Amino acid sequence: MDAADRFTAPLDTPADERLAYVISGVAAGNPGKPAILADAGAPHRRSISYADLVGSIARLEQRLNEEHPRGVIARVRRPESLVVIAAACGRQGTPVAFLADDSLALTHDLREWVEVDDALAVPSVPPAARWPEGMEVAVPHVTVATSGTAGPPKLIRHSWESVLAAARLASQWHGLSWLMVYDATRWAGIQVWAQALLTGGTLVIPASRDPDTVAKALVEEGVSMLPATPTLLRRLLTSADPALLERNALTRITLGGEAADAALLERAHEVFPRATITQVYATTELGEVYRVADGKPGFPAAWIGTRLQSGATLMVRRDGELFVRVSRDAVDAGTGDLVERQDDRYVFTGRRTDAIIVGGAKVFPKRVEEVIREVPGVAEARVFGVPSSVTGELVAAEITLAPPADSDAVKAAMKSTVLSYCRQVLEAQSVPRMLEIVDTIATTTAGKTPRRP
Amino acid sequence: MPQDVEKAVAEAIQAVLHDTGREVKQVGTEMLLAADLGLDSLDLAQTVVLLERALGKDPFREASASRTVRTVGDLAAVYKQALASSGGVAN
Repeated sequence: MDAADRFTAPLDTPADERLAYVISGVAAGNPGKPAILADAGAPHRRSISYADLVGSIARLEQRLNEEHPRGVIARVRRPESLVVIAAACGRQGTPVAFLADDSLALTHDLREWVEVDDALAVPSVPPAARWPEGMEVAVPHVTVATSGTAGPPKLIRHSWESVLAAARLASQWHGLSWLMVYDATRWAGIQVWAQALLTGGTLVIPASRDPDTVAKALVEEGVSMLPATPTLLRRLLTSADPALLERNALTRITLGGEAADAALLERAHEVFPRATITQVYATTELGEVYRVADGKPGFPAAWIGTRLQSGATLMVRRDGELFVRVSRDAVDAGTGDLVERQDDRYVFTGRRTDAIIVGGAKVFPKRVEEVIREVPGVAEARVFGVPSSVTGELVAAEITLAPPADSDAVKAAMKSTVLSYCRQVLEAQSVPRMLEIVDTIATTTAGKTPRRP
Repeated sequence: MPQDVEKAVAEAIQAVLHDTGREVKQVGTEMLLAADLGLDSLDLAQTVVLLERALGKDPFREASASRTVRTVGDLAAVYKQALASSGGVAN
């Protein structure tokens, strides 16, 4: 690693200017260094250097400076366009919105903002829609759409300070390559590209979410850092070519967004033996609460009631819900996550809102999924409730098989095996009453397992 | 049509027996759902979901007072009545 790879912004650089500052700094020392490897794992892979980004950022900044739009809506397909728009708008103090595919209709909140697409051209802005001459934008900000797992997507306005708050800037994080399996326009995705580019690293974006393409991108680009949800990691582990994965160079996996179970953590350790596996627990409202890297599910029971590094204190209410106290005078915040004591750990049993109510009894899909996945031959499982006029809801499940089966006889036998194993291990109301073998299980836009039909 | 409903009811019950790892027996109209076939409320719930898929109708969704469903024939009658009142099998 040379000096140029170690470039970062001084801590007093304002948050909104930090991206442009670091990108220029890295380009000055090492212009050809790849910032983004797009469509990785496919023949049409593209490499975008730090110098390429600097050129585009400068052109966009000039146009923003001439037109003074009230804000910029990024309507882009290419990740490099997103980075250029973020960096240019940040340094020019122009508010910016990143809209994912399902939130393009929400622009009515952003009246008089201009749209910038992959051509990075800023349309002429009529005088009435400009920022008044000489007037500073109060706080430059970033608008991001929520993933819509808990209702329709909403636009949320964040400060640059909060967008970049979680980025790790110490020198051990510099010049690494990061695999992007998240949507680059959403919070989790923005965190990954901001982290990679603020530390002079390389962002590797697979051409698709297909497990073999992701695995190829991972191996061919020598990726060392993998941030993912447990669902996306599990898909890679169960569905990608094992011979390909064997050649990986991962040194760190950071899991977030969902709770990871013991089986997944063990399997990940087998396939990625050199990688440290960190589980991050964060909420939209509170940000990062803790991270744990001991390879076990949940967190140490001794943490309850003690102040953690993040400043937060964890508490468990009598009904099992995890609460977080951020400061002495703040109201304790319910997380909606239910935990259960197992020896010296607290492990996650499910989200309160995920519970399926079968004849008055609560069934937590996460536990049922874990049991189903114990059956050899099952790759992935998704458990959810379907309405029933007799018991309120019934447990339904979708599974994928590894290797996939074409024959109906094999499928029927697998179904019987799964159901009979569930009957041995689970209470009667938790055994799936609808079980379907599918080719793929859909994930949410945030890369999680959906819990509704 | 009535034969079809009885056949659908019998098939749904047999599917439930099969899925739950029990012996799949012949299902007769006079058989008691609980005592003869061993169906509990979860089994019935599954049967009703399967029948909704097969017949396009869930008569138990509409609140109805004092409906006694003890035998396979009672269950089939509920579906026949519901289908008749809605003018046939909905698609």
